[in-house]
Amino acid sequence: MHEMGIAGGIVEYSLSLVDERRASRVTEIWVEVGELMQVDVEALSEALRTLLSGPKLSGAKTNVKVRSAAFSCRRCGEGWKMDEVKKQLASVPSSLLVEEPDSDEVPLHFLPYLYPAFVHCPKCGSSDVAVADGQDVQLMRVVLE
Amino acid sequence: MTWSARGFPYQEHEARRKVDQIGSVVMVGSGKGGVGKSFVASGLALSLAGMARRTGVLDVDIHGASLPSYLRVRPPLRTGRRGIEPKRSGGVKVMSVALFTGQNPVPMRGDAKESLITQLVALTDWGPLDYLVVDLPPSMGDELLSAFRLFGGKSRFLLVTTPSPNALSVVARLRRLIASERIPLEGVVLNMAYASERRGRSYPFGVADASSVRKMLRADVIAELPLEPAVNSESLVEVLRKSKETSTAFKALADRVVRGP
Ligand SMILES: Nc1ncnc2c1ncn2[C@@H]1O[C@H](COP(=O)(O)OP(=O)(O)OP(=O)(O)O)[C@@H](O)[C@H]1O
Ligand SMILES: [Mg+2]
Ligand SMILES: [Zn+2]
Repeated sequence: MHEMGIAGGIVEYSLSLVDERRASRVTEIWVEVGELMQVDVEALSEALRTLLSGPKLSGAKTNVKVRSAAFSCRRCGEGWKMDEVKKQLASVPSSLLVEEPDSDEVPLHFLPYLYPAFVHCPKCGSSDVAVADGQDVQLMRVVLE
Repeated sequence: MTWSARGFPYQEHEARRKVDQIGSVVMVGSGKGGVGKSFVASGLALSLAGMARRTGVLDVDIHGASLPSYLRVRPPLRTGRRGIEPKRSGGVKVMSVALFTGQNPVPMRGDAKESLITQLVALTDWGPLDYLVVDLPPSMGDELLSAFRLFGGKSRFLLVTTPSPNALSVVARLRRLIASERIPLEGVVLNMAYASERRGRSYPFGVADASSVRKMLRADVIAELPLEPAVNSESLVEVLRKSKETSTAFKALADRVVRGP
C-alpha cells in the first residue's frame, strides 16, 4: 500500500548520503523490509527503479529482501516466528482486520508494533510479547562511488 | 565506498513527513487521570472542524483509549493508496490504537510504545491538516514524551484540570515539565467547573478562582466547561448539538486556539 512512499524515503536518504560523504553517485542500495510491514517486494523494487534517475542515482542497483518477523516472550524467553502467529491470528474477529480494498492479499494489515495485542506466547501463554524483528524497513547497505 | 546503514529510521522519517503536512498541533493533557482530557480533545476537535478548519484528532492513550467512544467510531479501518484512512466523525479525522485492537488489551512497554506511536503517525493518511489535536493519557510516561518528540516543534499545550485541589497539584508538576521541554502553553481548561441548575450554578468539584490557578500554573484559564451529564449517554456530536452551554464554551475555546489571546 505504501511502497512508493517507502521508496521515496529510501531514495531521499541515499541522496543525502552522497552529499554527506562527498561521493559522486550511488551504485547499490540494499534494503530489508520487515515481514510485518506487508510490503510487496516487487512493487517496492519497481518504485525504487522509477525513482532512481538523475546523475547521482541512475544505474544504481537495488536489492530488496524480506526480513522475517520474530517474536519473543518477556516472561519465559521463548522465541517464535510468523507461522505460529498466523495460526493465532486465525481467531482474530474479522471486525478488527484492516480492510484493504486495493489488494488481493489476506487482510492482516495490523500495525506491526500492535501484534502483542493479538499474540500470546505458545509456550507459557503470556501476553507479554515483544516484536523482536520484522517490524520496520531497514536500509542495510548503500554503496557510493 | 560502502556505507552500512543498518537501522535506517524509515518510520521516523515518514512520521516527520506526515507532521510536515500539519499546520499546528494542540496537545491536550493533564498529568491527572479522569479529569476530562478526552472530552476536551474531542470537543475541541469538533469545534475546530465546525470553524471549517481541516482537523484531525489522534489518541495516543494506548491502554485507555476513549476517543472512539466520544466520537462513536469503531473498527474496521481501511487502507487506501496513501496509507491507513482515519475514521471520520463530525468532520474530524480520528485515529486511535483502539480502532485496531477493539476490546483487546494492549500489553506494551516503553520503547515499543514509542515505536507504536511513531508508526501510527507514519502510516496514517492524514492528508493536509490545519490542526491535529492530540489526546494524551494521564501520567508523564512514554506516550507523553513520544508526543513531545514527534510534535514538539509545532505544538501547543492545553492543560485540563477540574477545580479540585487534588487535580491541580498533579497538574502543576506537568506544568513544570512542559516548561522544561519548551512547549508553549496555550492555557488551562477547567472541566466540570460548575453544574447548571434551575436556581443557578453549583460547584460539585469546588471552586478554583482564576487568580489562584494563574499563580499555581503560571497560565490563564481560557475555558470553563460545565458538568454535562449527557456525555455519558450520547455521542459528543449530539451533545454539542443539543447543549448550548457546552457548545458555546467549546466554540470559545476553538476560537481562542485559532485566533490566539
Ligand atoms: N464536563 C463533563 N461533564 C460530565 N461528565 C464528564 C465531563 N468531562 C468528563 N466527564 C466524564 O468523566 C469521565 C472521564 O472523562 P475523560 O475520559 O474525558 O477523562 P480523561 O482525563 O481523558 O481520562 P483518562 O485519564 O482516563 O484519559 C468520563 O466518564 C466522562 O464521561
Ligand atoms: Mg482520556
Ligand atoms: Zn512465555
